Amino acid sequence: MLVSLKWLSEYVDLPAGLDADDLAHRLTMASAEVEGIVRVGAQWDRELVTVGSVLAVEPHPDADRLRLATVDYGGEAPQQVVCGAPNVAEGQRIAFAREGAPLVDSRSGEPSVLKVATIRGVESSGMVLSERELGISEEHEGILVLPDDAPIGEPLRDYLGDVILDVHIWPNRPDMMNMAGIAREVAAIIGGEVRLPDASYAEAGGPVADAVAVTIDDPAFCARYVATVIEGVTVAPSPQWMQDRLRAAGQRPINNVVDITNYVMFELGQPLHAFDLTAIEGTVVVRTADEGERLRTLDGEDRVLATDTLLITDDSGPIALAGVMGGASTEVSEGTTSILLEAATFDAPTTRRTSTRLNLRSEASSRFERGLSADLTMHAARRATQLFVDLCGGTAREGAIDVYPRPHESPTVHVPRERLDTVIGFSVPDDEVERGLGVLGFEVTTADDGWDVTAPWWRTDVSIADDIAEEVVRIAGYDRLPATTLGGRIPAHEPRPLASLREQLRDALADSGLHEVLTYSLTSDEALRRVVPAERLDGVPLLRIHNPMSSEREVLRNSLRPGVLEVVDRNIRAGVDEIAIFEIAHVYVPVDGEELPDERDQLVGVVCGVEGDRWGQRGDRQLDFFDAKGVLVDALARVGVSIEFVAGEEFGMLPGRVATLNAGGEPVGVIGELHPSTLAQFGIEQPVALFEMDLPALLPHVPERREVAGVPRFPAVEQDLALIVDDDVPAAALQQMIEQSRLVGNARVFDVYRGEQLPDGKKSVAFSIHYQAIDRTLTGEDANKEQARIVKRLTREFGAEQRA
Amino acid sequence: MKGYGSALALFALPPRCDASYTRGMTATADRVEDLGREAREALAAAGDEDALEAWRTGTLGRSGTLTGILRGLGDLEPDERREVGRAANVLKNELEAALEARSAELRGAALAASVVEGAVDVTLPGRPRRRGGLHPITQTMREITEVFERMGFATVDGPEVETDDYNFQRLRIPTNHPARDMQDTFWIEPDRTLLRTHTSPIQIRYMDSHEPPIRICVPGRTYRYEATDATHEWMFHQVELLAVDEGISLADLKGTLQEFARALFGSERKVLIRNGYFAYVEPGVELAVDCFACPGDDPKCAVCRGAGWLEIMGAGMVHPELLEAAGYDSSRYTGFAAGMGPERIAMLKYGITDIRNFYANDLRFLRQF
Repeated sequence: MLVSLKWLSEYVDLPAGLDADDLAHRLTMASAEVEGIVRVGAQWDRELVTVGSVLAVEPHPDADRLRLATVDYGGEAPQQVVCGAPNVAEGQRIAFAREGAPLVDSRSGEPSVLKVATIRGVESSGMVLSERELGISEEHEGILVLPDDAPIGEPLRDYLGDVILDVHIWPNRPDMMNMAGIAREVAAIIGGEVRLPDASYAEAGGPVADAVAVTIDDPAFCARYVATVIEGVTVAPSPQWMQDRLRAAGQRPINNVVDITNYVMFELGQPLHAFDLTAIEGTVVVRTADEGERLRTLDGEDRVLATDTLLITDDSGPIALAGVMGGASTEVSEGTTSILLEAATFDAPTTRRTSTRLNLRSEASSRFERGLSADLTMHAARRATQLFVDLCGGTAREGAIDVYPRPHESPTVHVPRERLDTVIGFSVPDDEVERGLGVLGFEVTTADDGWDVTAPWWRTDVSIADDIAEEVVRIAGYDRLPATTLGGRIPAHEPRPLASLREQLRDALADSGLHEVLTYSLTSDEALRRVVPAERLDGVPLLRIHNPMSSEREVLRNSLRPGVLEVVDRNIRAGVDEIAIFEIAHVYVPVDGEELPDERDQLVGVVCGVEGDRWGQRGDRQLDFFDAKGVLVDALARVGVSIEFVAGEEFGMLPGRVATLNAGGEPVGVIGELHPSTLAQFGIEQPVALFEMDLPALLPHVPERREVAGVPRFPAVEQDLALIVDDDVPAAALQQMIEQSRLVGNARVFDVYRGEQLPDGKKSVAFSIHYQAIDRTLTGEDANKEQARIVKRLTREFGAEQRA
Repeated sequence: MKGYGSALALFALPPRCDASYTRGMTATADRVEDLGREAREALAAAGDEDALEAWRTGTLGRSGTLTGILRGLGDLEPDERREVGRAANVLKNELEAALEARSAELRGAALAASVVEGAVDVTLPGRPRRRGGLHPITQTMREITEVFERMGFATVDGPEVETDDYNFQRLRIPTNHPARDMQDTFWIEPDRTLLRTHTSPIQIRYMDSHEPPIRICVPGRTYRYEATDATHEWMFHQVELLAVDEGISLADLKGTLQEFARALFGSERKVLIRNGYFAYVEPGVELAVDCFACPGDDPKCAVCRGAGWLEIMGAGMVHPELLEAAGYDSSRYTGFAAGMGPERIAMLKYGITDIRNFYANDLRFLRQF
């Protein structure tokens, strides 16, 4: 809410010399955040921009559209300037600037300094200003005309300057969404009395009840309906001061009738509606809509109304959406003379439902939906009626309609001293508690163990002792809270094996050279179809966002692959040569019969690009399957898991370059190079190796404790063994068989050869074998013998032949 | 080869008679003296390890000149044998020590030469290593949870897909409540579940399944239907804090969060508490820390922009209705809850001005953490 301090000072005295920053800070601390401060006129030079009076207007000798205005600006002699505004006239009070004044250029909107100019042969060293040149609005069709009593020569900054606070009001404080409410808070925080406007006026023309009758169908939807009738009204622009204040509040002036309803809403917080009384037929009834009912609202839309919509109706049918928008048939127009003024309390959720559904959020609906006090209606109705009488030349009928089926009573809350102290954490002295609540308008009586506190009528947000505790501490000052540490027993921490696996893997993958990325949980059908087989997508439906922000983010992902591939693409485009990344995040899988999906932690890693050279420049070696495998094996070793790589197949991957990841004989993931056609769909034109694992599947294979082998006591004998085998024999199978020997510590592949020296379909795999015994030093002879036995077994099992 | 040559010459030295013999010295004793002199000269001339080895073989080796003299002692008269034997042994010890010294000298010289040759331009870049790292948000969330774990808060998880009941209703935000404006929601078809808008639903889930005392810390992903700009993302993270026990107060909240702020932003940090509103707490507050980047009044400060304070979280005392709904006696138990944004905290800590950097995942950005 925009709060003009000039306007505010009508309701509460702001101490002389009170800095706006200081006021903003204190409001922010105790009640509502001030999000911005605008100082209107701070840039207007005190000497050079003043209130002036137009003494004479003559035609320009050399231009039809320009005129010469003689202005008394409070200086020694009047000044004649060239003026292009159509509305300049003798006798006006205007804003006048002289040479050197910093202004806003009316064409460009940029800051500029007023210079002497010769316009069609006439020198002009001053300017009669428009609102745009003053920087207060975009208006520059004509000059700004000031009230007739504006004092000539007064610095415009003093006369028209203002400070506007942009105050963010919490949803529970509808009472603060108006000047009077802000005044109450300011008075409570910095001291002072609140002055509310007088609302008295002369009544004539018989009782209101003779002109109109009102009934409320169901008090659950409308707690109170107050109405007055004003006759003989002339619709015209509202006075300048009212227009200025509305603008300061961010509201565009329309005409005096509409402006008055808005003005009182900003002043007191009660949204009002003015009907053209002559358009109303019969009795006004507040009720919910019937099936199929329609209303043309004053924005010209024909609306079909849902049955839970609250309406104002007459004998002809709906005439307004209660609290949301008026109807076209009863709209106040230029020819309107009689007004029915409505000040009602509509049900908060009902108003919100209707305004949200119809996308008609307004200043009025935003107040109703927060829950207004029914006690506000009568005062607001009388205040607006007074203004209609004073400013529109109207006559108010006697009294007011007041349908108030269940009068509201503010609850009295019992506040034990002990509760106050427990919640706050320090003891605010009795007199301070009572004084603090008192300045906020609460009635306080002492009880045996504390107080009984009754909220003022405008506070609809207070119902329990802890609500009162907040009031006490915010007035006492949060800066007085001591900083204490939690005492008491520390509850046991439950083990979280999956979370700890997740975090260990994060560390391990980062240590193995991958960068962690975090990508969006929402993706598109299209992106998923590139990497997830259609039968899986069709088998388990995706969780779909009802109100997506874009078609790229419309489903919850069931695969982490699209996210990382999009990151790969983006980084390639950014010129990154070597990309090694991983993500650990949830995939979302709906579960039959469960309201919520299974959120599974999965891991995905991607390696692509070329290895950097000694200088960190683009090198020669393309990263591939084995770079990804190396990272994965290394990371898994860190959590004590050994994985078996079994040649396999996977959707979207390159046949022959895919392995299923098995742990304890069960599949827990996959690794492989992606198929070029899959990559192309992500805009990627180079090989990418990817691995993926399901952490809940991996978890049972993570040993709770890891066993560490001792260091061998006897030296090893190292021998090489090259084997010629069929091309399709996996190296891991050979290795496994070699390592089955009791005398083999370990065997490692150090070369694989295919080519001229071997028959087609054969390859040579060379192992370096560590022979070792736990109880003695082996000789070369021992190793030779054992190696011969091993070769025999390999020949039997795999048809392997020792290469000379 | 020069040294080798002189050693050979020495080896070939013929037995000599010297006419200047005066003090009863024999020809053999003379030869010891000559041999000593020449061996010293040859050793001084030996310029590398090979020359030294040749000198050693020629002089002290099995068939070396000095060894020859020592072997020939048996042929001498006893007096002469004693005299020559002593002199030859003295010489042998001397030459062995000289060899060791010369060898050390040569090694030193060789090392010095190789050091000169091996000098590098120390200003050249180091050899690059492929280095990975954790996402800044992961790092920040860990930093946050670690601080709270030290204070006894257990880290727990909650679901990202939530029901309206847990995300809103049971947090005192009924349908058509204006507080819903603070949290625009992504709804999921067709059952009207939703993406949680905050980590607060875990307060209800945890209280439903546990008894006080409770101290938990809940990091996780959250979502709001919001247009993206430099300070807003529709996907972000939160860390929720909940403590419930007998006698917990707003002052405990302040103390706990002050300790947190000091751990993250420096030991001198002060906490500022001001009025706030969240439907599920009462009283509700917002917390700020004093700016760590400026003395608090620098209008050009890139971190606080002259405000002096940095808002870091919303918090408050758990509303008694939540405690009662969980089956706790709200006259006996009180609690506090707080929620903070790791993105905001990381932005403050690292001077990041655009939140969109976090999920663009540009490696040139990520490699800096």
